[in-house]
Amino acid sequence: MPRTSVVESPGCPPLRALTTDILGLIKVVEARTKPAGVAKVVETWGTPDAPRAVLAASLADRAVDPVLAVARKNGVVELLNPLNGETLAGVKAAGPAPADSSAGEDPLATLHLFRRHAPDSFMLGTFLTCTEKGKAHVKSVAKENASSDMAVGPSSSWDVSNSGTVQFSSVDAGESYAMFGGKGIEVNLWDITSCSKIWSAKSPRGNSLQIFTAPWFTAGTFLCKDDHRKIVACTNNHQVRLYDTASQRRPVISVDFRESPIKAVAEDPNGHAVYVGTGRGDLASFDMRTVHSGTLPLFPGKLLGCFVGKCSGSIRSIVRHPELPLIASCGLDSYLRIWDTNTRQLLSAVFLKQHLTAVVIDSHFSTEELEESKSKQPDPVEAEAEVRKERKEKKNRMSEADEDGTRMLDHDDSDAEMHTSKRKKSGEKNKGMKKKSKKQQVA
Amino acid sequence: MAKERKRRQPADAPPPGDDDEGRDHRREKKLRKERPDPVLPSQIKNKDKRKEVHAKLKREKKAQKRKLARERGQAAQRAPPEKQVPRTIENTREPDETVCRPDDQELFAGNDADEFNAVLKQQTTPKVLITTCRFNSGKGPAFIEELMQVIPNSCYVKRGTYELKKIVEYANNRDFTSLVVVHTNRREPDALLIINLPDGPTAHFKLSKLILRKDIKNHGNPTSHKPELVLNNFTTRLGHRVGRMIQSLFPQDPNFRGRRVVTFHNQRDYIFFRHHRYIFEMKENKNFSKDKKAKTSESKSQPEKQVICRLQECGPRFTLKLLTLQHGTFDTKNGEYEWVHKPDMDTSRRRFFFPNMSCCPQDVSSNLLPYKGRYHPTAMGLHLIVPALLSIQELIIAGPMFFKAAIASSCAVTAPGSSYSRASACYY
Repeated sequence: MPRTSVVESPGCPPLRALTTDILGLIKVVEARTKPAGVAKVVETWGTPDAPRAVLAASLADRAVDPVLAVARKNGVVELLNPLNGETLAGVKAAGPAPADSSAGEDPLATLHLFRRHAPDSFMLGTFLTCTEKGKAHVKSVAKENASSDMAVGPSSSWDVSNSGTVQFSSVDAGESYAMFGGKGIEVNLWDITSCSKIWSAKSPRGNSLQIFTAPWFTAGTFLCKDDHRKIVACTNNHQVRLYDTASQRRPVISVDFRESPIKAVAEDPNGHAVYVGTGRGDLASFDMRTVHSGTLPLFPGKLLGCFVGKCSGSIRSIVRHPELPLIASCGLDSYLRIWDTNTRQLLSAVFLKQHLTAVVIDSHFSTEELEESKSKQPDPVEAEAEVRKERKEKKNRMSEADEDGTRMLDHDDSDAEMHTSKRKKSGEKNKGMKKKSKKQQVA
Repeated sequence: MAKERKRRQPADAPPPGDDDEGRDHRREKKLRKERPDPVLPSQIKNKDKRKEVHAKLKREKKAQKRKLARERGQAAQRAPPEKQVPRTIENTREPDETVCRPDDQELFAGNDADEFNAVLKQQTTPKVLITTCRFNSGKGPAFIEELMQVIPNSCYVKRGTYELKKIVEYANNRDFTSLVVVHTNRREPDALLIINLPDGPTAHFKLSKLILRKDIKNHGNPTSHKPELVLNNFTTRLGHRVGRMIQSLFPQDPNFRGRRVVTFHNQRDYIFFRHHRYIFEMKENKNFSKDKKAKTSESKSQPEKQVICRLQECGPRFTLKLLTLQHGTFDTKNGEYEWVHKPDMDTSRRRFFFPNMSCCPQDVSSNLLPYKGRYHPTAMGLHLIVPALLSIQELIIAGPMFFKAAIASSCAVTAPGSSYSRASACYY
């Protein structure tokens, strides 16, 4: 008998994702059909040019006036309009380099575009970059003199570390703290406003043979939205670690995952799950809750499950959709893959031809918007922005009911999902309650 | 039972639409008048009579059969029946979206940006270092000796007890462009590692079915000319990358005078390696035409001369299968992989990662630039190469794809003055 089992992708709900690749192209992938559809490339921005390869990308995902920032290999940070790909500004961000040659030696490693934004201000955006040698900069770009290559506004810089290579940085949801880490650099937490280091990690103790492994962090993120003290950092030594900056400098939880370095991590908005991707194309989700309250018989750092499928190359970037239970992953196998986080099933895969470096999800995309913008031909961008605004207001009004509706729809919701909705409704205090409910379920 | 019925059918009831129908009926009627119930010859007791009846029946049957055959032949002449295409794994394989298209600008931009570009654009000459695993014995040394004859500008360096990372460093310092590691297990070479220097990628192949030169019957000895290279069926993005990697091992300006050709033929994700010499010979064409008069009058006086190509294999012969393709140079612990074969990817027997030409139409693949101008169309040689690659077992494995390739290439090449791009169809 021939071994044939067809793996079918059921298609994903309306979604818009932007990917960047090593040729400096930005590709827009959209799924448009209403309940579930196939994701397709709808637009490609830029011309293929290897020196302008994109190293990192960040999206200020707002309903009004969204901005996409990409860090290129030649040290330029470009701000683009993620709706039509129009370049708004290009800033040389490799720092006050004396010559171009030194800038070439010290490429940008990370980029974060700040989301908080006063709509009437004349600033286009503020971003945080860090080079591989640890020079961190915060720069702002004004709308007027975008062409004159001058950064205006609060601009500051500091040295994250003197030795080692920075490989990741992450900014918390409140956007006042940034974390850095890399090869030879322990995870450290910085206050962005005062540019001061407030915490740094300590290596775990050597093992029974007193063998000490040098720090090499490859990815990290803040675990909760409303708590900057819980940090998840992943090492090249295939460990996923949880740090609690309030309690100690050594990791609270450390879990091994398979045998290849972890390359990407993303947090779930429910505040306890993380998604990790490795250098061999393994993608899994972990529950990083701790057991310190003692009532919950939970194994710390539990592997919730792997996203099995056709992933065959290193995963470079993972993003969680803010509302829908979806993640998007991309990497060296040049596929953008969209997965369901509840069933851990592959919803859609798009082949994008090059090695991909980053993916971002535009969460304010909907199919209605498309149709309306089509009907209002003259100025689609403005129309789209307006529609987005309207949608957001509507959403704010109906958020509660709507959310419940969607939750009810998903039948195979895990209990984790239930917790989130509860948490959102009743805030912080019900940690005990949550556990109780779980207990009840178990019983 | 069915056979019997078929045999009896024409005698009992001739098929409708028959022009002799009336007469047959009359005859039958006459028979029936004589004997109302049809008597079988075996029921007749008189021997002479029985013989007669039997002979008659037999004659009738024969005539009927002949008539049917004639009809069938005429129908076939009017409209030749459609040739049935066998269902093979190749032509029922799953479609692949990653197949390279000739109109893909991103592909060419990607080629210009990749690690092999300097070698393939002839800005640097390839220089290959060959080494082994730490314990090298058995067939290993002999294989390396032959490999060094296949790859020009290659040198062997003893592995000693150095780590592979140290050897990569060593080769980088000496401006090597590639590093080939032959791994032996139980005195049999079983893996091949090709590392592109200075910064990757690294391909890890499983090596099997190795036959050295001395074990090939009637083998030839290669000269030291730079060989021509034939790469068949490297169509997907992954295949394209691996193909370029293999291509960058060889110098890009072959000595066509050497008439030496190295073939990497990919089929169902296995890459078959062959190494041949060829020679062109003039041969009288024996023209067997049907009308003998024409032959006697014209072609006997001036026999047609035709160029034919003879091949001689000069080993080694082996098969490769890609296991992993790693980004960067060899690093198992911290490495990042571009492609890893995982068991859960094998969801179907009809899914391949380097697909064949069946999914990439000829005219499309012929325009694909990457190997254009690389290969010298060896006049009529090529269509002989491909069948010559095959032993009987391989024919069984390979199936009709080889012949398809052979036929395609022979059409492409035999036309004199066919352009290189046309001939390059055969590489894919």
